[in-house]
Amino acid sequence: MEKYLVAGVEINKVSIKELLFNKTMLFAYVFLALGLWGAYEVFVHRYFFLTASAHDAGLLSGSREVAVAMKEAIFGAGAEVRREQPWTLYIVNYMYMIYSGSAIIFFVALAEIFNVEVIKKTAAGFMTFGLAMVFGGLFTIALDLNVLHMHWMFLTPNMSAGMWLMLPLYAVYIPFVIFEIYLLITKNTTWTKRIAYAILILSIVIDVIEYYIQAKLFDMNTARLYWTTYPVLTLYFIISAFVAAVGIMILYAMVVYKDKLKDEFEKLINFLRVSALYVIALLAVYEAVAYLFIDKKLAGIILFGEFKLYFYFYLFLAIGLPFILEFKRHSSRLWIVIGAISIIIGTYLGRYIFVYGGNAYPMSDRFDTGFQKYREYEVAKEVIFFNPHFSEVLVVVGSIGVVLAVYMFIDKLFSVSKIREGH
Amino acid sequence: MNFAMALDYQSCINCRACEVACKTENGVQLGADKQRIWVGMTEKSIFGRPFVNFYPSQCNHCLDAPCVDVCPTGSSYFSIGGMVMADKKKCILCKGCMQACPYDARFVDDKYVAVDKCTFCYDTRIVNGETTTACQATCPTKVRLFGDLDDEEGELVELLKSRKFFVLKEEMGTVPKLFYLFPENDRHFAEHSIGHDTTIHTWESFKPIIEKAKAKRRSQWKSI
Repeated sequence: MEKYLVAGVEINKVSIKELLFNKTMLFAYVFLALGLWGAYEVFVHRYFFLTASAHDAGLLSGSREVAVAMKEAIFGAGAEVRREQPWTLYIVNYMYMIYSGSAIIFFVALAEIFNVEVIKKTAAGFMTFGLAMVFGGLFTIALDLNVLHMHWMFLTPNMSAGMWLMLPLYAVYIPFVIFEIYLLITKNTTWTKRIAYAILILSIVIDVIEYYIQAKLFDMNTARLYWTTYPVLTLYFIISAFVAAVGIMILYAMVVYKDKLKDEFEKLINFLRVSALYVIALLAVYEAVAYLFIDKKLAGIILFGEFKLYFYFYLFLAIGLPFILEFKRHSSRLWIVIGAISIIIGTYLGRYIFVYGGNAYPMSDRFDTGFQKYREYEVAKEVIFFNPHFSEVLVVVGSIGVVLAVYMFIDKLFSVSKIREGH
Repeated sequence: MNFAMALDYQSCINCRACEVACKTENGVQLGADKQRIWVGMTEKSIFGRPFVNFYPSQCNHCLDAPCVDVCPTGSSYFSIGGMVMADKKKCILCKGCMQACPYDARFVDDKYVAVDKCTFCYDTRIVNGETTTACQATCPTKVRLFGDLDDEEGELVELLKSRKFFVLKEEMGTVPKLFYLFPENDRHFAEHSIGHDTTIHTWESFKPIIEKAKAKRRSQWKSI
């Protein structure tokens, strides 16, 4: 293929058709279309929801809009955000995408430091996929926030807030990862090799800082005992993200490197399989120990109450099944793929439990004097839990489209998935 | 000034006139979940005999409020008078404050697509010279009493000096300023109806807690 050489990087001369209308991109567009449908639904609900106040009712008593808004207030399903459950599937998906994507990048950097040859050859592809996942997470969170007010993040920043710290974090993190990928794919190897090691060390430091800030974001929520009593949250995020990352990397390797790596493919899969076993074992130990520290009532709700089915499925899919499947070296790769898919679904459930479980209690005990009755003739609710809205699910599907589109776009231009020797 | 409120919650008859008054005075969005103040209900039973407790409540205007710490834009801030305010135009709807608040005191105002909460009627009444909030003014059983904790001779401090009280979720360390008056007449019932770990305070025991938290946060109080 014909190439341009810019700053030591080879850029493929691809046609628009090949760049934007290849098979993977078409899949991405379907997902993105569903995501945009979800975004449309969310925005209509958020920005065009008819509301009325007592003032409106008094001053505009003949208005049809006020009448509709009052009807909605009385008989409607309510607006977008429920006061009892502010963080929902957006946060679940944001966590999953960002944490797992970052973990892929983190994992690759570690493997490079430990001189794992087969990872060094495939590092650019893995890192780009990790970066694409970070963008998928940012897409989700951007739709969750009121973007019309975002400029206040710069105009009146509260620099100690976890949410604000995300801003400089990603402003540094994303260019840094792009620079790492640049170093991996560049032809200018004399000076890039010289700084590569320092960059790797620095990237690991930045990764740990990232997880620390993410943990701080949850830990600052005084009221949510699940998050505040979870021991060493930063470490939990790193371990659980590593499990998800390895699952994603196995699946990615199966799709991308099966034919490209030929003989070495077995080596790559085996390395990822063994890594999976280690991180799954670590996660199992962490989960077993963590529930000794978590607030007792919450632990009860998750282990034996409303969330028990989610929790058992999480344990089975993220820890039990993949551990069994990946433990034995199979002749058929199907079992390894099933193990990887199981990890991906299981770890997603883990995030789901973390966010929704954190919301579930103790807000039902609003006064610390007993569970609250929400209506006169209802029984008191022990746990607050609502299923995600359909439009949120669509946004999550859209975020997968973002991941695929970003990855394919970069890969088509820079061939990041190409096997690289001598790095 | 350090505004606060005492609530004689055992006098609440669940008429919810306070909820209506708040919505009318402050133009709060209509809807069952869109409340700056509310009357909460909890169920209990003593020897198998069930009963319901009413807890009139609202933002506790905590002196050490976690909602202010988590706000990335300064939309949630401490105002003069030690009140916790929410500036709707700066809210990016991260909902961090809703998560951080132990009292579930915040909701999303769908008209402004921003978080809303109790202001102690500062912008609608207090700034205009009124001395009561709308909820206090309308209550038929005189549950609420709004006042200034810095005014030792004031009605609020005098009441707190004369009665025992407790605050909600004290263990969270937020130093809330809604003081629930411990019932004098039916002490046995009251002890059963509140949490077993709830500390019953006197003005002498709680004043140092207020002073300490105020000293910590006073420099963050902003004009409205």
